[in-house]
Amino acid sequence: MRIGLGPIALKNATRIQLESFGREAVASSFDAMWLSESRAEGVGGGLAAAALLAQAVPIRVGAVIDAGLYHPLHLAEDIAIADLTSQGRIEVLLRFDPEATSRYGASMAREWCDDFLNVLALALSGAHFQWNGKHLKVPARIEANQPAPERLALNPATAQPAVPIWIEASDMWMAELARERGFGLARNFTPGTPVPAANGRWTGMLLCPNDVHPAAALAAAGDLGAYFVVAAENLAQVTSAGRRLAGPLRMPDFPAWINQQQ
Amino acid sequence: MRLGLGIFGMQSVPQRPDHHVKLYRDVLEDAELAESLGFDSIWLSEHHFWFDGYCPADIAVAGAILGRTTRLGVGTAVMLLPMHSVQKVADDATTMSRLGEGRLTLGVALGYRDAEFDGFGVRRKDRGKLMDAMLPRLAESCAAAAPPVAVYVGVATAIAAQRAARLGLPLFADSTMTPQELRDMLDAYNAAAAAAGVDPPSTHALQRDVFVTDDRERDWAMLLPELRYMRRQYGGWSFPQEPEESIPFYLQRLESDIEAKLKNLIMGDAAYVSARLREFEKLGFDLIVCRSQFGNLPRESLHRAFEGLSRVREVVST
Repeated sequence: MRIGLGPIALKNATRIQLESFGREAVASSFDAMWLSESRAEGVGGGLAAAALLAQAVPIRVGAVIDAGLYHPLHLAEDIAIADLTSQGRIEVLLRFDPEATSRYGASMAREWCDDFLNVLALALSGAHFQWNGKHLKVPARIEANQPAPERLALNPATAQPAVPIWIEASDMWMAELARERGFGLARNFTPGTPVPAANGRWTGMLLCPNDVHPAAALAAAGDLGAYFVVAAENLAQVTSAGRRLAGPLRMPDFPAWINQQQ
Repeated sequence: MRLGLGIFGMQSVPQRPDHHVKLYRDVLEDAELAESLGFDSIWLSEHHFWFDGYCPADIAVAGAILGRTTRLGVGTAVMLLPMHSVQKVADDATTMSRLGEGRLTLGVALGYRDAEFDGFGVRRKDRGKLMDAMLPRLAESCAAAAPPVAVYVGVATAIAAQRAARLGLPLFADSTMTPQELRDMLDAYNAAAAAAGVDPPSTHALQRDVFVTDDRERDWAMLLPELRYMRRQYGGWSFPQEPEESIPFYLQRLESDIEAKLKNLIMGDAAYVSARLREFEKLGFDLIVCRSQFGNLPRESLHRAFEGLSRVREVVST
């Protein structure tokens, strides 16, 4: 089991606050700290902020990114550079937010999401690729731009062989698409809801409230590995969540008097 | 006068290849050194889909530098705006200005390499129209950010300068422009601002190739292959081939152009470089971004040049 802190909203956040949360996340034994942009509210820079935070903490840093709003190659480039500047410690959770989509004048149509995720996956795979989708053609091969190569590649590539990417799928078709392209799946925790099944090497992710009980989290995982990302609004909640969850989730069958740090 | 240090593309060049993990570790160390030497700012450059891995995402690098430093400004020199979503750039810059406590500056320009536009599905021919539409939106968003983000417009022509003038935005002049070309461009800029009824800024930024050394002969031998590589790369992207022109003749013209541009390098000891930079200050450039990193110079040589440039900074900042 892995435990992440967050996502901490970037809206109104300061560097001092993020670094304070980061230090507390390390001290409380979290595997990663997550940040969240909110482009519906004009708050972008999720991966740049992750690159900033990665300079202050030794653990992994995750970015919740509003997807589908701009060209996927720009997202692939942001991921690669954030990963390189963090020496390979970046993780990503993609979400397709209707309000952000509306603000950007973008689309949430299935065909567009399909194109977006396919181009993103191809770019991050290291392939020299071309893509001919309904909405995206990469390279575009526009006559006025010629001569231009028939294929392109993301260069530089990511530091990690594969950056872990999850998708918060709001529809069955999006979950299928995520599985096809090798992304992990994430969903919000509700009691009785299981952790999404692993996809390839990525275990399912559950976005949990701060007060999630270890037994409930373990019940959601069942026999599967899982990645629990636990919310916190202040430093005290970071500390308490780490102490309550780290032991039981990592090694569940020790008695509570040993496994829950006081 | 303020001195910025630049421009960093984190390229794994053929004559000195490195893994990009190391190149990005290096630039963060360079930023720490720049801050300790008292420079005003550090500047990053952007290109896409290039064989040496030229940095394609400046704001992400800027985030890392902002996280590694506490006082140093970080700028883009320049972001190729027509290839981007202006809403994304504005939202990214607004957030990073807040997290960076006002230390982010955006330099933006048109871009010119067909393959980059084609990768993003943009017609290169539309770049001017796109810039006309994007620049006011970006300027408005950046002015409203807290803290605000300064926006400079990268220019090498009067037309580009006039576009900036109509919005009252300061210029970020190209490194290859001669003093006379700079004067002519500023005249065009001021005339366009007056015609638009805009009160323009009185000072601008300039990029210049600068290498401070106490041993010119030694460092010129080191620099020449790097400068040739850089100029061939940029020239090969931007230098026009005339219709029906043979490739050998085109390459000959390109090499002549490269030879001319190599002469733009300001190279010498701190006193000489200080005097040369003062000439640009008199023209109206109060921020000079000194490019001392060409490709991927040996670390020791590069840091020696940074330290020499810091002596220039002490002279020209008073």
